[in-house]
Amino acid sequence: MTHNGISRYSMEIATALLTGGIGLAICYGAWQVGTGWTPSGPDSGYFPFWIGVLVVAGSVVNLLRAIVGQRHKDEIFLDAARLKSLARFVLPILGFAVVSLLLGLYVGTTLYVLFAMRLQGHYTWWRSLASGVAISVCFYLLFELVFQVPLLKGPLEHAFGVY
Amino acid sequence: MNNLSLLMDGFATILTWNHLLIMVIGVMLGMLVGVLPGLGAPNGVSLLLPLTFTMDPVSAIILLSCMYWGALFGGSTTSILFNIPGEPSSVATTFDGYPMARNGEATRALTLAFMSAGLGALAGVVMITLLASSVAQFGLRFSSPEYFAVYFLAFCSFIGMSSSAPSKTLVSMMLGLAFATVGMDSVSGGLRLTFGIPDLVKGISFLVAVMGLFGIAELMVTTEEGLSFNGIKSRIRVRDILRTMAELPRYWASLIRSILIGIWMGITPAGPTAASFMSHGIAKRFSRHPERFGKGEPNGIVSPEAADHSAGTSALLPMLALGVPGSATAAVMMGGLMIWGLTPGPMLFITRPDFVWGLVASMYLGNVVAVILVLSTVPLYASILRVPFAIIGPVIVAVIFTGVYQVANSTFDFWLLLFFALLGYLFKKLDYPVAPLVLTMVLGHRAEEAFRQSMVMSDGSLTVFWSNSLVTTIMGLGVLMLVWPLFSRMLGLRGWRRRLHRQKPQASKPATPDSRP
Repeated sequence: MTHNGISRYSMEIATALLTGGIGLAICYGAWQVGTGWTPSGPDSGYFPFWIGVLVVAGSVVNLLRAIVGQRHKDEIFLDAARLKSLARFVLPILGFAVVSLLLGLYVGTTLYVLFAMRLQGHYTWWRSLASGVAISVCFYLLFELVFQVPLLKGPLEHAFGVY
Repeated sequence: MNNLSLLMDGFATILTWNHLLIMVIGVMLGMLVGVLPGLGAPNGVSLLLPLTFTMDPVSAIILLSCMYWGALFGGSTTSILFNIPGEPSSVATTFDGYPMARNGEATRALTLAFMSAGLGALAGVVMITLLASSVAQFGLRFSSPEYFAVYFLAFCSFIGMSSSAPSKTLVSMMLGLAFATVGMDSVSGGLRLTFGIPDLVKGISFLVAVMGLFGIAELMVTTEEGLSFNGIKSRIRVRDILRTMAELPRYWASLIRSILIGIWMGITPAGPTAASFMSHGIAKRFSRHPERFGKGEPNGIVSPEAADHSAGTSALLPMLALGVPGSATAAVMMGGLMIWGLTPGPMLFITRPDFVWGLVASMYLGNVVAVILVLSTVPLYASILRVPFAIIGPVIVAVIFTGVYQVANSTFDFWLLLFFALLGYLFKKLDYPVAPLVLTMVLGHRAEEAFRQSMVMSDGSLTVFWSNSLVTTIMGLGVLMLVWPLFSRMLGLRGWRRRLHRQKPQASKPATPDSRP
């Protein structure tokens, strides 16, 4: 953290470490199932193992490029104002995922649209709620009736006898 | 003239009211996702794909491909009217399209863009009509080592042609390959890379990855930049359209040059985005009035648009004939083909000629339908962008979540979606290319299968990839693509790449009219 935000330099390093970590996990997972040669050809871990090695190798190069090359040293990745608007967008999405798991996608969608409109657009309660309900109803008509693909439902729909 | 009679059969297949209606729906939906920020062609096609599982493949591919054309047109609309590229490939259209629209010639700019885009697409389809059978014939000579060599060539061209750092392209591509191997191993039947998580047994769907990488991640970047739309009000008058059409032949040189660039970049996996940038750059370099570029020069609209659409169309040739898609959207469609139980590649031309030629015929018709529809509905779509982002953003997110759920009726995919959203956000902001990840994810299984079969054939010796002249040539081309960046740097050809890189950040930010030069 610099005084006015997260620097791109640190994010380059963090991302290289993240992809490198994924690469190591791939190598480990591949090693678990066997990376050698079997009577029927290469083992099922053979191909993923070398892919993992390439991911790690690429990540190491990215890491070195960031550190040694001193690229993007003074660039700012995210400042406080942008972080705030990003959080206003991302946090309701996380809530949406959790609520949808517990109560189904229709309730999740209604609540999510309601809170996202309140947080990001500062709309009035009744407008946001009306939009949320309207969108859920549209989804129901479109998916369940027109395309006949059921969406995830929760206890509320069951209570009303909607399946 | 065997191809022509096959094409006529294709027209006979698709000329039903049902298919025409599907075409119109596809184009309209495509324009919608093209216009909306954060919803691009790959994402739109991914969202629609689960709904086509029960359709017959011909109708399904017409719907998806028409959505693709619609999205390409929709992306140009917002570039010109709002200075916001709806698609990455229409960034280059903003350079001259928006200034011309701001000078009060919105109709002229839009007509120039759509007509040259339509011509570019038609040229691409003509190329496919002429070449598809011979490429497929050629592909029939391929066995596993040759197939792996073709994939190798595709992967190497990504590294060679990408505007990002080669190591970043490598990481993105290899992550895609790795994600594709998660779950059941199709050869041994065993599980791998699931780390004891039961939900990973079914594997990671490329559709979830596309919706996270292209959908949510794009929206995150958009929100962060605090989008405000400064649209140009446009009234489309038929007289202006006709006058612009009459002026079009004047740009024949730009058109032909751009179409050739587009077809080349579309067949090789460089894709429409690189094609449109390169075409705009070359048009400026060869122009007698380079100083007019960036101020509303007609050639600056015609060139990127024609290249963008001819590349987008041509990307379907390698996908159909060899099973190697030339763009992210083509990759998603190819994934769709496999889900419908079709195997893209030369055998498809023998087993399902009705499908292949139905698709080619629908590309002719679909692009004509798209040009007419887009010209008549521009005001409607422009008005969608005037709805505040605080309403549209959440609706798009909700649509993406329902789409993700439909892929496999699995709630675990919500978390995968969020993971890919984070990865996509980091990748976008740090100049990692995202399209290679999607392409390799779709191709992963086939690439691995080709590799393993080659290894079995040669009893574990890598020399199988240099065992005959055909496979050696393809591998050699791959290596050439890999070292191309070094080579072109020595020859001093890196100009357009650097330009691409310089222009990208400024263009991806929405500029207010007065902040533009």
